[in-house]
Amino acid sequence: MAVAVLALGGVLDSTYLLLYKLGVIGSMVCGAGGECERVQASRYSTFLGLPVAAYGVGGYLVLLILALYGLQGTRVSRPTTTRWLAALSALGVLFSLYLLYLELFVIHAVCRWCSVSGVLILAICAVSIGGLASSSRAPAP
Amino acid sequence: MAEAGRSLKPFYLLLGAIAVVGAVLIAVFGGGPSMPRLTASSDCQAPAPGAPAPKGVSLGPDSAKVEITEFSDFACPWCARFAILTEPDVRQRLIPTGRVKWRYMNFPLDVHPNSPVAHLAAACALEQGKFWEMHDALYMGQNDWAEERNPMRLILGYATRIGLNTDSLRACMAAKRPWPEIQAERCEGIRLGVNGTPTFFVNGHKLPDTSIPAFDDLVHIVDSITAATAARPAAGRKR
Repeated sequence: MAVAVLALGGVLDSTYLLLYKLGVIGSMVCGAGGECERVQASRYSTFLGLPVAAYGVGGYLVLLILALYGLQGTRVSRPTTTRWLAALSALGVLFSLYLLYLELFVIHAVCRWCSVSGVLILAICAVSIGGLASSSRAPAP
Repeated sequence: MAEAGRSLKPFYLLLGAIAVVGAVLIAVFGGGPSMPRLTASSDCQAPAPGAPAPKGVSLGPDSAKVEITEFSDFACPWCARFAILTEPDVRQRLIPTGRVKWRYMNFPLDVHPNSPVAHLAAACALEQGKFWEMHDALYMGQNDWAEERNPMRLILGYATRIGLNTDSLRACMAAKRPWPEIQAERCEGIRLGVNGTPTFFVNGHKLPDTSIPAFDDLVHIVDSITAATAARPAAGRKR
């Protein structure tokens, strides 16, 4: 359940960033320094021809659907879903670390909404790995 | 499964509520671009230390005998009328003669809430060498963006159409880089007595406020000044 809530938060956060990138939103609530705008205007805000935020929306949607599917599943299917959640969110953490590196050392500006996404994906990864660990400790039915 | 579905119902309701609240927050806080603040008229009496010189954006040679300066607001309907009906002739038929230097000076009015953003967009387009293209797009599309809650979507559309790098444009606009120049031009207008737009100055002399010149009027003005400057040396020689 926690993963679903966190993933939904990620969908909303990435949607906000994507709407700004597409120009649907004119400005972001991001403090006076305009750092979100600087990050979003940099060439690193697109990846393989798509806005980075679009990958966020897609990725969090997949995690949300998986988490909801896991809630519906049987005792047999749940560990499989959790393994997928852990693996995908670990990929997301790696991608977030790459983006954080770019913000700190290349763009020299930190976008706080991107940081929110980083914290969310880290939390999803931690909860999923915790779920895997606890299911492996649980006695077989 | 059905039992599980029933027991999860409150959770699904909670997720739905979070999604709705999130969407509402995005709609509320995802408004238009942050507007730069216009200088109050009283702050323009003495130029601020370090303020840039009010240069405007010009067309035509520096050696032209006639310099026409236009103080204009991108959201002002009369300015749009002039820009659409008269200015194309000025650019195609008057400026190429070499007799006229045309200068556009930013004069955003505080009655038009989207003016500052439009002036920033044009000034940022100048950084990419496409001021006049953005100038034309803004005046042509004035009815669409001037009252919009978020004019950026349309302005970015114009930017794409005229071949600007939209990321660079947004970075420039977010940093409000050319804003000091815009303020300096507005202040210059206030100091010169501009109190509405468009206002025109011909070789430093203000045309009457009520007059928005037609192309023929401008040709007449340019002809008479050119004739007068040509006659003056001749008169001098006679003496």
